[in-house]
Amino acid sequence: MTGSILFLLIIILGGISWFFGRVKARRFVTGSAARGAVHSLPNYHGWYVALWAVGPALLFLMIWNIASPALVTDAALASPAAEQLPQDPFARGSILAEARSIASDQQVKAFNPLSQTMVEPYKTAISYYQTLGAIAALLLVFAGGAYSWLRLKPELRARTKIERITMMALLLASLIATITTIGIFASLIFESARFFSMVSPIDFLFGTEWNPKAVAGPRGETGFGAIPLFWGTVFIGAIIAMIVAIPLGLMSAIYLTQYAPLNFRAWMKPILEVLAGVPTVVYGYFAALTVAPALRDFAVSIGISGASSESALAAGVVMGIMIIPFVSSMADDSIAAVPSAMRDGSLAMGATKSETIKKVLIPAALPGVVGGVLLAVSRAIGETMIVVMAAGLAANMTANPFSSVTTVTTQIVQLLTGDQEFDSPKTLAAFALGLVLFIVTLLLNLIALRVVKKYREAYE
Amino acid sequence: MNSAATFIDERNPTDWQSDQMQKRIRKRYAAERRFKALGLGAIILSASFLAFLLVVMVGNGLRGFTQTELPVAIDFPAMTGGASASQFEGTNAEANLRTLGVQDIVNTSIEIQYGELGGELFSAGGWQAVSAAILDNPDIIETETTLYLPVESEIDVAYKGSGSASAEQKITELKDQFSTGFNWNFLSNSDATDPMQVGIWGALKGSLITMFITLMIAFPIGVLSALYLEEYAPKNRFTDLIEVSINNLAAVPSIIFGLLGLAVFLNLFGLPRSAALVGGLTLALMTMPVIVISGRNAVKAVPPSIREAAFGIGASQMQVVFHHVLPLALPGILTGTIIGMARALGETAPLLMIGMRAFIATPPSGIVEPATVLPVQIFLWSDEVNRGFVEKTSAAIIVLLLFLLTMNALAIYLRNRFETRW
Repeated sequence: MTGSILFLLIIILGGISWFFGRVKARRFVTGSAARGAVHSLPNYHGWYVALWAVGPALLFLMIWNIASPALVTDAALASPAAEQLPQDPFARGSILAEARSIASDQQVKAFNPLSQTMVEPYKTAISYYQTLGAIAALLLVFAGGAYSWLRLKPELRARTKIERITMMALLLASLIATITTIGIFASLIFESARFFSMVSPIDFLFGTEWNPKAVAGPRGETGFGAIPLFWGTVFIGAIIAMIVAIPLGLMSAIYLTQYAPLNFRAWMKPILEVLAGVPTVVYGYFAALTVAPALRDFAVSIGISGASSESALAAGVVMGIMIIPFVSSMADDSIAAVPSAMRDGSLAMGATKSETIKKVLIPAALPGVVGGVLLAVSRAIGETMIVVMAAGLAANMTANPFSSVTTVTTQIVQLLTGDQEFDSPKTLAAFALGLVLFIVTLLLNLIALRVVKKYREAYE
Repeated sequence: MNSAATFIDERNPTDWQSDQMQKRIRKRYAAERRFKALGLGAIILSASFLAFLLVVMVGNGLRGFTQTELPVAIDFPAMTGGASASQFEGTNAEANLRTLGVQDIVNTSIEIQYGELGGELFSAGGWQAVSAAILDNPDIIETETTLYLPVESEIDVAYKGSGSASAEQKITELKDQFSTGFNWNFLSNSDATDPMQVGIWGALKGSLITMFITLMIAFPIGVLSALYLEEYAPKNRFTDLIEVSINNLAAVPSIIFGLLGLAVFLNLFGLPRSAALVGGLTLALMTMPVIVISGRNAVKAVPPSIREAAFGIGASQMQVVFHHVLPLALPGILTGTIIGMARALGETAPLLMIGMRAFIATPPSGIVEPATVLPVQIFLWSDEVNRGFVEKTSAAIIVLLLFLLTMNALAIYLRNRFETRW
């Protein structure tokens, strides 16, 4: 019996026990004289029985799924076929793993003939323990259902019990975000620590040569200096993209909030928002297919040497376009938050609209705008597909926007999409880069949120 | 005080009519106009970027939905030695077709009509169209028929736009015979090495399965935690931590979620690589904070009077939340969910991390089978050197954008439809 069928069966049995619990509870209401003594509605009795039937069984299955592989291996090793296995634990482990994946239909053919002989014992063991687990789970369903069904009586506080369980579910759900954060942090730290045991953190953070393909050997690794990647990331995400996004985004926000007729604003705002909704892979393709060749031709025509078809400028400009709506909506919000008395006062003094905007509104809204820009930067440096497709792979430390540079995210993708063994410093380096990226974007976000929050309080 | 008074005394009233003053006013007004024009320019520039992007993609991509064809006359009775139509009806049709050797028949027919090198004109998989035509209408097997078959990719590109010199030459030679048909294969096939044979169905199906898993995980968790944080959570360190982590997760770069998926789901739990299950789990972790944040806003917008009225007639807190607050907040939560799902649908980077970049030629039929999704398929095709892939990539982008625009339009519609002023 496969897992999903068993799961479905348990859920169906749960539904049936819900029905029986409800039927019994209804009889309390209609039949018994002590109508006032019934504590909960019949529905809650139904849920009470259903949870008793399904909960323990599912819990058991979860534990069983974790525990049974070890039991299966023990059983397979006890079979006569296991006697010819090599004693070396590594060879033994790989044969067993292969036999296991063939037995569970994940793999078709064995590379090692010995694993083929182990398939049969594995198959018997797996089906034995699967059947055992299924029978035990079904017994638990019936036991739990019967136990709780027998306990149903008018005074039972079914609703309170159900509500307590629901409360636990709510709490658990909200914990997932925290668990995810911890998971991100732990996995990044754990893998980075393995990387830093092979490569010194100083070399990584301050080295200027990035060339992971030319790794020397164990303990003598060089070529992991990440400074060129950091520079490329900052150059594209924080410099070129912002040169495009800040003026365009800010001026768009100013026009939309201060000048535009309502009708125009109602149309333009969603149109700008579409820019943020276009998938980044589309932007990347657009940058690589259309923008980059045009920029290269332009650079060649004005005589710039070293113009590459994968340029920092192409990636940066397209990323800037993507960020425009982000900057403009943050600026929009913070300009709208400036009290209108300040604006009206300035206008009443005889200042023109543009003077009011430049001298009153923007200075007053500045913290919000700065916060928005910081968030935009954090988004730009974490952006992956545009730079993967348009920025190139050469780790250059150049300020020439027409040349190819590489970024942190590009390198993460590069390091992790080859066929590499998982313990090599090359793959682990990706996690170290990820850790740096995570910390930097986290700091930027925290600072930005603090700036925005502080400024909001000043006016309210 | 004294000095200020004398200053005012000494100053003449402003003469607004003086040339100097008029000039200054003109200057200020000109600056005003310039500033306004600058703002309008910024908007128009931003919008024209979008328009340019869409025009380029649609211009390239529409051609991907068509294919160039050349007629091939096939003399079935002569080549099959008199196969009858009845052989290709019913249950044995496909087996009989296989023994017939359609590929050879087609190749011979092409050689008869276009000479020795005729085979180079046609797409290698074109004979499958003939097989499909026979199954569709077995009667043609008894007649001499002319079928239109897709040409080879280089010629296809050259016919639609401009291609290599040799292909252009062939175009001029056969000019009158070409015709253009809708490329149904593009909607029903999966990835392939020949751009004439590729299709998006595999990636689309992968996307749908992945999105389904994402929704099944992110939606309940998102809604439950939004309810907890708004309706139950006490104000303390612990709930602050939950709140901070949700806000931070919403701003974590997507590639970091890919690293998490790789380290936890693949390496720790040993789930299969490239599977829609892992992709869906990873995207769910990414989408959940979006749903929580929008859900909290929707729950917050439900007025307290509704809760108080329910409490007043004796409902327990759980009943208030699940019978009254949640139904009223649901449209708002749904809007946020659709927006979050749209973002997940367009996401590529985290899926590359968990190995969803393999060449996958058969659509996935389960959640643990190797699958690919539309954005990743676009990324893979964009790497192909063959020119035929350019239009296929753009065509796939059109499909992806259509999905996204539909989802966003739905979100806007829901927001307008259910927006309630209390």
